[in-house]
Amino acid sequence: MTNEVKLQSTVSAPKPKKRKIASLDRRKARAGWVFVLPFVIGFLIVYLPIILNSIRMSFYNLQIVTGGGYHLEWAGLENYKYALTEDPSFVQTLVAGLKELAFDVPAILLFSLFMAVLLNQKMAGRAVFRAIFFIPVILSTGIMESVEGQNILGSYMEEAGGINDGSNSSAASEIVSAIDIERLFSSMKIGTGLVEYVVDMINNIYDIVNRSGVQMLIFLAGLQSISPAIYEACRIDGATAWETFWKITFPMISPMILVNAVYTIIDSFTTNSNTVMVYINSVYQSQDGQVHSSAMAWMYFLLVMLILAAIAGIFSAYVFYQKRD
Amino acid sequence: MDANMNSTPRITKETKRKIKADFERTPLKDRLKAKFVNLYFFQKVVWYIFRLVLLIGISYVVLYPFFTKIAGSFMSPEDFVDVTVRLIPKNFTLDIYKAVLTELKYFSAFRNTLIISLSCGILQTFVCCLIAYGLAKFRFRGNKLIMLLVILTMVVPHQTLQLSMFMQFRYFDIWGILSLLSGHASTGIEGLDAVLANIHLIPLKDGGVNLTNTYWPLLILSATGLAFKNGLYIFMLRQFFTGVPDALEESAYIDGSGTFRTFVTIILPLSIPMMVTVFLFAFCWQWTDDFYTELFFTTSKIVLMPDIVDIPTSLKTDYAGQNMYYAAIRNTCGLCIIMPLVILYAFCQNFLVQGIERSGLTAD
Repeated sequence: MTNEVKLQSTVSAPKPKKRKIASLDRRKARAGWVFVLPFVIGFLIVYLPIILNSIRMSFYNLQIVTGGGYHLEWAGLENYKYALTEDPSFVQTLVAGLKELAFDVPAILLFSLFMAVLLNQKMAGRAVFRAIFFIPVILSTGIMESVEGQNILGSYMEEAGGINDGSNSSAASEIVSAIDIERLFSSMKIGTGLVEYVVDMINNIYDIVNRSGVQMLIFLAGLQSISPAIYEACRIDGATAWETFWKITFPMISPMILVNAVYTIIDSFTTNSNTVMVYINSVYQSQDGQVHSSAMAWMYFLLVMLILAAIAGIFSAYVFYQKRD
Repeated sequence: MDANMNSTPRITKETKRKIKADFERTPLKDRLKAKFVNLYFFQKVVWYIFRLVLLIGISYVVLYPFFTKIAGSFMSPEDFVDVTVRLIPKNFTLDIYKAVLTELKYFSAFRNTLIISLSCGILQTFVCCLIAYGLAKFRFRGNKLIMLLVILTMVVPHQTLQLSMFMQFRYFDIWGILSLLSGHASTGIEGLDAVLANIHLIPLKDGGVNLTNTYWPLLILSATGLAFKNGLYIFMLRQFFTGVPDALEESAYIDGSGTFRTFVTIILPLSIPMMVTVFLFAFCWQWTDDFYTELFFTTSKIVLMPDIVDIPTSLKTDYAGQNMYYAAIRNTCGLCIIMPLVILYAFCQNFLVQGIERSGLTAD
């Protein structure tokens, strides 16, 4: 009898303790909600109506009533049909924009990874170079971008300087003339597509540098987080720098490559200079083009989301995570 | 060589307490030769030069547009038709700067933009810290969902939403509640409508508060972590906070500190470099922003930075080099706009690099 009671008490004893842990967890969960509360409130009150309204708009015809206010008329899928079949250049622009994306993303990724590796090495004046490389991230946005767009002075001056700052591409100002490179590569029996790609990349270097600032920061941070002990072990084992890069740096940085690929795609399809965005903007400015533009924008958005999902899916299969064990 | 190494040093007694040991060293020439004439050193030198050339070259590419802008801003109109003038002005003048600073309301634009950028920058930094900390350190139901929503706000381009965003703040309303209370919308209950329309709980003209041409839209967006690129900040900060060891907070909890106090007194001081980085981004991107300011400020009552990219009246000319000259003036406006940012960047760039280095950003 006494034995049983004892047993019972030992069984029942941990119970309140367990509840206490659960309540601490719950308290922490509640604190978590408090921390993210501003975002949740903002999302529900401001962002969700905006998104829903934008989606709704793309199904309506909008008429602005004189004297302020507007009048909506249900149009079904007409705006989408208009964009795909009637609009003269939407589909073409879309294809061109996707091509541009396919060109830009690898170029920016390669360049920013290369520069990050370079800037991560110990050398004199590293801080100065880093400071210079991040200038475009901070300064060449918004107003400066539009000022740069109208800047004919730069192209005038560069006729002597011989540098292409991306505002126009006169044959005289190309750093590398395509013919030289082509001659070099054709003797190496590499396809012309690759040659054009490389030449384009070199000639658009200003654009690429300008747009790879954040990616460079993210790569640098990733490189910093690799333990120096691994490199030391490699050096002791006699690995060359080339081998070390491919066997250590590259796998360790591969999660960053995924992040940067996603970020670059998002960034390059949301900038004002993107061809599709320029086109959508011009449609928005035109007469009763607001609804057409929002239909186009949503279609473009869906397309890019699909690409994003595909790329993230493919990449994440090859990404190496150190912590996974 | 071996012989030298093994030979015993020659010891001479100089004074009573001092001896002098002479080692037979290899001659200087041989030593230098061994050190510098080998493949390893050669490789290093070649790599060093290659790297330096590359870095200086790309730095030049980055800085060149600024050089041309600065050069152009000091030129007088005659220089733009003179073919011999390229980068260095012949007739050095400060006319453009004078005109831009005095005629284009630069200082009122500066003041207004400073108010907006500073308040938005501080708000965004703090709010993003809060949200990121909540997402990084607390496991609660819906955590993943909220992270997804944050990414969603980053992914949907704001240009897509410009019409709806304008409408939202032109007729600002919280799910129709405000217009219900003011009696503009129908509640569906007879009688109540008339009552609400008569008592005017909230004085409204046309079913919503007009927030355009005020600072409110930007402040609301900042305070809720929805402003420009806030998704990126939240993501960066979340990665940083994930890397902060839990033991720090646990010891604070054991000492009786609440979650919020722990956040303010333990976590925030730790993350100052990161916060400066985020603040720098937020401040600068708000400063040079022309999308939101043009969207929300439709009249020119509040002068902001995008409004001053213009040609001052005293410099209007129909001179031969007009296009060139106007481009130079616009460039000078741009330079005047970013001048404060350059100064800020010069002070903060150290933090920027540090913040990124310490973030220990990982993508898992």
